[in-house]
Amino acid sequence: MGMLTKLLRSWVARSTPAPSKPSEDDRARPISGRLGQDFAVIKQAFGGSVDVAGVEISLDPQGRQKIGLAYIQGLVNSAAVQDLTKESLILRASDFGDALIQSSSIAEKEALLRNLIAPIGSIARVGTIDEVLAAMLSGFAVILAEGLPCGFSTDTRKDSDRTVEEPATQSVVRGPREGFTESLETNVSLVRKRIRSPQLWLETSRIGRATQTEVGLMYLKGTADEAVIEEARRRLARIDIDGILESSYIEELIQDETATLFPTMYNTERPDVTAAGLLEGRIAIVVDGTPFVLLAPALFIQFYQSAEDYYQRFEFATLIRLLRYVCFFITLLAPALYIAITTFHQELLPSPLLFNLAAQREGIPFPAFVEALIMEVTFEILREAGVRLPKTVGQAVSIVGALVIGQSAVEAGLVSPGMVIVVAITAISNFVIPSFNMGISIRILRFVLMVIAAIFGLFGVTMGLVAIVQHLCTLRSFGVPYMSPMAPYNNADQKDTILRLPQWAMFARPRHLTRNRIRQRDARAAGPRHKD
Amino acid sequence: MQRKRQALILLCLCVLGLAPGCWDSRELNELAITVGLGLDKSGDNVKVTTQIVNPGEVASKQGNQGNRMPFTTISSTEQTVIEALRKQTIILPRAVFTSHLRILVIGEELARDGILKVMDGLSRNREMRSDFYIIVARDAEAEDILATLTPMERISAYKMFKTLEMSAEEWAPTVDVEMDQLLHDLANPLKDTVLAGMVIEGNKEVGSEAHNLDRSKPFTSLVFSGLALFRDDKLVDWLNSQESKGYNYIMNNVDTTAGHLACPDGDGFIAMEVTHAKSSINGSVDQEGEPFIDLSFQLEENVGEAQCEMDLSDTASLERLERVATRQLEEIVRQTIAKAQRNKADIFGFGERIEDAAPREWLRLKDDWRERFAKLKVNIEVDLKVRRIGTTINPLSDRKE
Repeated sequence: MGMLTKLLRSWVARSTPAPSKPSEDDRARPISGRLGQDFAVIKQAFGGSVDVAGVEISLDPQGRQKIGLAYIQGLVNSAAVQDLTKESLILRASDFGDALIQSSSIAEKEALLRNLIAPIGSIARVGTIDEVLAAMLSGFAVILAEGLPCGFSTDTRKDSDRTVEEPATQSVVRGPREGFTESLETNVSLVRKRIRSPQLWLETSRIGRATQTEVGLMYLKGTADEAVIEEARRRLARIDIDGILESSYIEELIQDETATLFPTMYNTERPDVTAAGLLEGRIAIVVDGTPFVLLAPALFIQFYQSAEDYYQRFEFATLIRLLRYVCFFITLLAPALYIAITTFHQELLPSPLLFNLAAQREGIPFPAFVEALIMEVTFEILREAGVRLPKTVGQAVSIVGALVIGQSAVEAGLVSPGMVIVVAITAISNFVIPSFNMGISIRILRFVLMVIAAIFGLFGVTMGLVAIVQHLCTLRSFGVPYMSPMAPYNNADQKDTILRLPQWAMFARPRHLTRNRIRQRDARAAGPRHKD
Repeated sequence: MQRKRQALILLCLCVLGLAPGCWDSRELNELAITVGLGLDKSGDNVKVTTQIVNPGEVASKQGNQGNRMPFTTISSTEQTVIEALRKQTIILPRAVFTSHLRILVIGEELARDGILKVMDGLSRNREMRSDFYIIVARDAEAEDILATLTPMERISAYKMFKTLEMSAEEWAPTVDVEMDQLLHDLANPLKDTVLAGMVIEGNKEVGSEAHNLDRSKPFTSLVFSGLALFRDDKLVDWLNSQESKGYNYIMNNVDTTAGHLACPDGDGFIAMEVTHAKSSINGSVDQEGEPFIDLSFQLEENVGEAQCEMDLSDTASLERLERVATRQLEEIVRQTIAKAQRNKADIFGFGERIEDAAPREWLRLKDDWRERFAKLKVNIEVDLKVRRIGTTINPLSDRKE
């Protein structure tokens, strides 16, 4: 894998053009203080786009003092802008207005204007044209004043966000029904609603030269590992790209190992999962414009755990977890084992089963490997079609799929019924894995193992598994070993790895994630009082 | 340099993929699944018969079951077993696959000639497992046994395998000897062995034809009968059903079985079900340096069927039954040992017991062990209890009055 990374890197290095020097326009331009000129610069910056609006309002009949309002139509809430205009009408008649007109020093003017518009709320000073542009692009209206080399932005953003809905992925039977939306603010508030602690810190930055996407780094101060926070901060700061449209961009840019099939950052649409991650000492990266929040460090086992594990009784949750691990092996190995055993190790089959399988294979024109490949690829096609097609057409696809995969392929003599069962159980098992991106990793590895099985038999499958385990053990997510707490083994953390012990038994946080480990001081305190 | 090395590693990986290839991969429909193997003498050569499953006829799937046979038997003759097996490809479109072998049948003629030579090839074969049973075709050729069609279990090798397993458990006079046990016995020069014998009842020609099964009572059947007694690797004699049972009692092979006794008074028989049987063999050497064997038996029996007039509610009559049963067991065991001694074949492994008890003496004894075995003194001690008499008390014939 190391070699592969090197190859990738060297290829990337060769194909990347040298960065061009920033042009004059990119440098911070000051606000001139002359409204007409500033508006012209702003309009020019947008290439004369018609949705850029600049309004000039004079505070007195003589036009001695003008203030201006710049915003982009469609991004702002028109009611809010109207309110602003009304405020300026009130301003005309007020003493503040007169004072503003009379004041001569710039500092005094600025202070006056600030005081004046303070009641509007959420005001920020902008000092350069570029800041003005950035504020406008975020849906803010910028208030400028004649003779003042700065302005103030006010929040007039349109509330075009969709409402909080039940998440489409990671659904649960019991548990909260809220899911993240595309708005960073809503998402942060959804988490804050769950963790009402001042220790929940949020650092935001803008990433993407063109998109200026707001990216928030959230963590529980004092619980999350400072080194991890610092590392995340550093990695986020190093990103230099034109646009971030989804959190996957961030994930791919900052993950530890690029040449791996396994996800080393966890993504979720669920605020409760995010909150749980934060409480365990993970960091969350919230990206504006997507409901998927990233959690790091992510461990291998995390991808096999569901929020519901903690909302149902622990015995049941443990059994379901075991079932998931079984499904993991089925979906990874079933076709490979079928190929290996039926073409190399027929002696492993019970005789009656051998007769049945042999009878099914009578008249099948392809070797078992090709047969398996046909079925697996067919299934992947149907699945992909099912995802892309509109919901109404999707049903038609599933009917065709059921017929093609099930009955017809067998009747046409293309594949044997045994193979259909193997592919079906493989496919169903894949859906048991709660995390979609881990499911994808397994799907790819399944094909690799099938090829190995067809060439080397069970010996090859074993070697393939050894290689996978070896690779998994080399992975790290933000410095934390990916396979922990199994490798390196940690006895205390087994409470929530393969098993899920009851809440009263889980009194410490995972050791690899945090140094602040105490979760419950007295685990039995909440129970009924024991007679002494 | 770096790039050269990378290219080399890539090349190696590609070659690694191609070199071993799929050289020993075989699809299921390229296998001739052999479940039964027969060895017969054919002049100086060995005739190998394979019973090959026709999967389409045996599989659970309904339909397309035409008039084809559930299996096909094919014979070929060569100097060696392995050659003969490979030679079958001139008849078969598929390669013989022996991992699922259930039964090995040895023809009586070959067995009398000695089986050591032919077993070597089979023990060497990496494809074969060692958990199949070995039987001897009594007064028959292995080929005819393997060709016979059987009801219930459509594959006759399976029928033999399961019948042997069942009868060894429920009815004492058979033995289920697996390959590795036989090889073990053959390798031991002082221990001899027995194998279950199988006879064809009825016309052997009809047995291999489809209409053998067209009748609820098949024209020809395969039946286990007696045990083949081997000295070294040669069949020398047959144990009848009583002696076979005796052999199993001695070898502690009996779990449950049934036997009959003559009624103590009057005529008729009384059937005894053995529910528990345990034997122990102890060897020793007496003061004169003569070896001897102590056999002791512990049995529990139930009254299974009483055809005679006796009062079963009386403990005294049960004690009488115990005495009669003890006497009979002693007799069976003596008869069995006598036959083995006549043939100078230590099928019980008495020699090993004496070696265990007196290793020093054994060095002196082992040279002419066969002669000593023929004259060996065997003490028999039986502890037999009649425990239960079933769900009724007195015989039906008693209650008529």
